[in-house]
Amino acid sequence: MTEPQALGLARRPVPGSAVAPSRRVRRLLRRALPYLAIAPALVTFVVLLGYPVLLVVQTSLQHFGLKQLINGGATWVGLANFQTIIGNAEFITVVIRTFLFMAVNVALTVTIGTLAALLLGRLNRAVRLLFSGAMILAWATPALTGSVIFQWLFDSKLGVVNWAIGSLGIFGSWLNHSWFDTGLSTFAIITMLIVWQSVPFIAFSLYAGILSIPGELPEAARVDGASERQIFRFVTFPALRPLLLVLTFLSIIWDFKVFTQVWTVAQGGPAGATVTLSIFAYITGLSRSQFGIGAAVSVIMVLLLLLVLVPYIHRMIKSQDEL
Amino acid sequence: MSRRSSRTLLNAVGLLATLVFAFPVYWMVNTAFKGPDEIQTYTPVFVPTPTLDNFAKAISQPHFTDFLRNSVLVTGVTVILAIVVGFLAAATVARVRFRGRAGFLLLVAVAQMAPFEALLIPFYLVVRDIGLYNKLPALVLIYFIFTLPFTIWSLRGFVAGIPVDLEEAAMVDGATRFGAFMRVTLPLLAPGLVATSIFCFITAWNEYFYAFVFMTDAQNYTLPVWLGSFRTNFGTDWGATMAASTLFTLPVLVFFLLVQKRMVGGLTAGAVKG
Repeated sequence: MTEPQALGLARRPVPGSAVAPSRRVRRLLRRALPYLAIAPALVTFVVLLGYPVLLVVQTSLQHFGLKQLINGGATWVGLANFQTIIGNAEFITVVIRTFLFMAVNVALTVTIGTLAALLLGRLNRAVRLLFSGAMILAWATPALTGSVIFQWLFDSKLGVVNWAIGSLGIFGSWLNHSWFDTGLSTFAIITMLIVWQSVPFIAFSLYAGILSIPGELPEAARVDGASERQIFRFVTFPALRPLLLVLTFLSIIWDFKVFTQVWTVAQGGPAGATVTLSIFAYITGLSRSQFGIGAAVSVIMVLLLLLVLVPYIHRMIKSQDEL
Repeated sequence: MSRRSSRTLLNAVGLLATLVFAFPVYWMVNTAFKGPDEIQTYTPVFVPTPTLDNFAKAISQPHFTDFLRNSVLVTGVTVILAIVVGFLAAATVARVRFRGRAGFLLLVAVAQMAPFEALLIPFYLVVRDIGLYNKLPALVLIYFIFTLPFTIWSLRGFVAGIPVDLEEAAMVDGATRFGAFMRVTLPLLAPGLVATSIFCFITAWNEYFYAFVFMTDAQNYTLPVWLGSFRTNFGTDWGATMAASTLFTLPVLVFFLLVQKRMVGGLTAGAVKG
């Protein structure tokens, strides 16, 4: 990259009018223009986002409680906050729980999303419109609304789900069955909620990807006698691979740090059984005003997420030229 | 299995999936229109005798107009800021090759991964220090930072998707580079701008966590906080909650459908070929 090769710029004749600024100034301006245009965004990232990122690291190394918040004078304590957290048996449980929760959610979302995308391509027009419409409903529903709806669906007394299970007649009466009594069943509902809301994005993205595959490819394979499964494996899947990778990557980020649904459905309950890392950071940091420890939890959370994403980030940097 | 019967089976699966995906939303709307008798019953009512009582109750909640005004204000300013700043950066990275471009793109990608859930504490400290705690601009600031990376990423994709050949053709015909961009690319970009604005709108409109933690006075709450206001120690008023949820979801849904419609039909399809 020697010269800023603004596309087509070099070919443009410089108007030699008397009022026009000198060539030198113009050239300088032309060189500065891209930087001026990205400056507001750059400042936002470096200052408005960069400072809080530094601050969370700084706070994680300080003894910073309610007293320091009011009077100032937080003291440096090195890695003491991290030692406190790692020495906390509950924390290890929370980490394992967060990873399991993330893995289950990502796997379900991506698998069901892929199946839904393949299904979209094979439905009759009317059914496809209906199914798309239903998925748009789920997708458009705000996370918070979704949480409220699912609590209502699974309400122990008046919930429609308990009524439906009861009226199947196989499992007996489910009236008064409380879904929010155990961690596992609470997680099951949160997972259903998250999968319900995230599948549409994955499905529509992949469906658009499938549509962009030239129709001749699967057609040719079909003529050559390939089965539907073979067509998926050797034609559709390889074409969708990069897209699938990005979607998995995004799902991992979202599901690892998800807060709203987990918090609004159960506030980490029952008895802390659905506390994930982002809930843990909130509770220790803000609810208990242990800002230093909360910040340390946040730092660990980001480091863990980075660790999971290393292969993806590596790939991203490698493919920078394609950006 | 013959091709036709497998097609029928797939359509049946499609209809079942439609039911599963639509049911929660149907149940929200359905409950919103029910009277107390139809809600407080062990045998659910699938087609209610519609009443608007729940909606009346929901919007007569104290401070409702404040919540609505706050939400509209915060969301509107966030969208404008993100689109203006994002568009400048996106058009630049998509059309101009300059030193540091790859680095900037990497920064955007990293910013997009920034876990805002992990930045609650520093944002809390910053917002307190600059005197914005419990003030609406704090939310605008945070939502703007939230939405900017995606805005750049998405608009960059839309600009890059419009063949530069079109601009060059206009320039051959005598347009300036800026003129060509404004007259050729910008109109084609309208759907992209709409889609991206809608994304920003939805993010800001739906955000609950920061709104809940940073706004301490009822008159500064945004609408998401309103949804949780029908719970008391005596139980939840499901009718009013579902009516409020329906009203809250409605604008999001309308915007969503708008994008869906505008995104169909590639505007540039066939503009440059061969």
